[in-house]
Amino acid sequence: MPKAKQNLLSNAAVPVRKPLPPAYGKQIMEPYKPKHGLRHRILQHRTLYLLFIPVFAYFVLFKYWPIAMAWIVAFKELQLGSGVFDSPWVGLQNFRDIFGSPDIPNVIRNTIEISLLRLLFGFFPPILLAIMFHDMVTRRLKKWLQTFVYIPHFFSWVIVFGVVFGFFSVGAGFVNNMLDALGFARHEFLLDANWFRPILIGSALWKEVGWSTIIYLAALATVDAQLYEAAVLDGAGPLKRIRYITLPSIMPVVTFVLCINLGFLLNAGGEQVLLFYNDAVMDRADIIDTWVYREGLARLQFSIAAAVGLFQSVIGLALVVICNAFAKKISGRGIW
Amino acid sequence: MIHSKADRIYQIVIHIIVIAIVVSAIFPLIYVLGMSLTGQTEMMERNYFVIIPHEPTLSSYERILSSPLIWKSFFVSVFRSAAGTLLMLALTVVGAYVLSVRTLPGRSVMLFLVLGTILFNAGLIPTYLVVKKLGFVDSIWVLILLYLVDSFGLLVIKIFIENLPDGLIEAGKIDGAGDIQMLLRVVVPLAAPALAAIGLFSIVFHWNSWFDAMVYLNNASLFPMQLILKNMLTAASGDMMSTFLSNTAGVTPESMKMATVIVGTLPILLVYPFLQKHFVKGVYLGAVKG
Repeated sequence: MPKAKQNLLSNAAVPVRKPLPPAYGKQIMEPYKPKHGLRHRILQHRTLYLLFIPVFAYFVLFKYWPIAMAWIVAFKELQLGSGVFDSPWVGLQNFRDIFGSPDIPNVIRNTIEISLLRLLFGFFPPILLAIMFHDMVTRRLKKWLQTFVYIPHFFSWVIVFGVVFGFFSVGAGFVNNMLDALGFARHEFLLDANWFRPILIGSALWKEVGWSTIIYLAALATVDAQLYEAAVLDGAGPLKRIRYITLPSIMPVVTFVLCINLGFLLNAGGEQVLLFYNDAVMDRADIIDTWVYREGLARLQFSIAAAVGLFQSVIGLALVVICNAFAKKISGRGIW
Repeated sequence: MIHSKADRIYQIVIHIIVIAIVVSAIFPLIYVLGMSLTGQTEMMERNYFVIIPHEPTLSSYERILSSPLIWKSFFVSVFRSAAGTLLMLALTVVGAYVLSVRTLPGRSVMLFLVLGTILFNAGLIPTYLVVKKLGFVDSIWVLILLYLVDSFGLLVIKIFIENLPDGLIEAGKIDGAGDIQMLLRVVVPLAAPALAAIGLFSIVFHWNSWFDAMVYLNNASLFPMQLILKNMLTAASGDMMSTFLSNTAGVTPESMKMATVIVGTLPILLVYPFLQKHFVKGVYLGAVKG
């Protein structure tokens, strides 16, 4: 079928007869053929261009100017007091400084480790929870449980940090109170470098596990219920139905979400880390986003910080492009 | 779907697991609420282990809500959420409509311009340098201008407009409607559900943001509520909190902090039950179209 269709459109030797206007449904989209000159068409659409001016201005001022700035500042040595124009070009010096410095390798390692840990522990729980929600037969109870489990998603990281403080602080935290009641010693969880990452990832899971089920539930809502009925007739138990119907139905979405997550490998959640870390855990906690914030805005090392940010963005773009191609290949669904 | 013994066991197991997850999602909030309602004396007597206070007191809340800074920041947050969302919706729907017109010369370049901002992020420092150059450091407008167009939402709405039945736009054209009339009379009413979903997410985003204010603003009277709450929560001791609040006697710093958390969540908890359905629809929209 597709082959015939293609011939009809591309074979120029055969005169293509105009198809009869279809009686129902959408008209076949023909390639747009301009009837007038470019100038005329631009004038014809002048209102649209005028309408687009504010949108265009926004993109130029707040998106593309900063992007241009990133590529310039990263290769200059921006000094306080002198503008971007007057500052000298230094070639790759900023990048040499970064990778020669003692902090950055550690910061990049922390970033990748925290991202991968987030993926490892944060990726599967929402899938499992979505499958369980999908299979629950108690409809009203299920609705209520969903309503409650979505709530933490709407809290800011500031609030999540407050809740974590309420749970883990030494003097009044719930966990420490429980330890105390059970006869164990209280522990400074928030100042313990070994506990930083579990608390960071655990609290992110607490915030997002419910909400992240929605994208999978959206995919499952389109599965034909007859498939399950047929499987039951064939004697498939609940686990077999998950294995052969539920999981295959959400696989495209799973690859899609995985792909997006990998694209953010170098963004390990700056806002959250900035709130949660402190001097005691810095060594295991400092990531690119927090380092750029401190180095760039607190210590005013604009060029070095911009160079690190540029490195992060370029790698991020490359990862998204690679993952997208990969996702398209194995699941037929990409981001674009 | 209960057909066998295995199904029944499976249902019991998943109900237990899901209920356990939901309880652990909600319990921390109950603990925080309990702490926030506990006075200093009871806290001392019960060695700081209070889930349900015997003598609940609102004094932590009185202290927090008597701070003028909190109220000021509340109105800053309301302003940025309302103005930021309305302006964003206006520009986003206009952009989406313009880019949905297939005959527009230069359309593909404009589309690429939008897509490019989703794929490549300028980073914190370059954006800061530009904002500074434009003179918006220490202006409340920076919190709105930075998010004036939602590129992803624009693409979603553009596809939405393109998928409208052809007849609608054509009929409007034949009736002699110009682009602006078409936008206001046809596109906005029809795209209203999609716009509402994008608007809701924008409100939550603005309400919860604090990092941008920390970067671009120095004047504490312009801080949004979440940044004030953040400063109160990360203040190391009760002494530091007293720089925000005039009088902290009678309540422990712990209950003050927990009351802070409740004050920060309350506005969201109050509107959430009414809007939950629309939020979920919004994700479906993004999931199906994106």
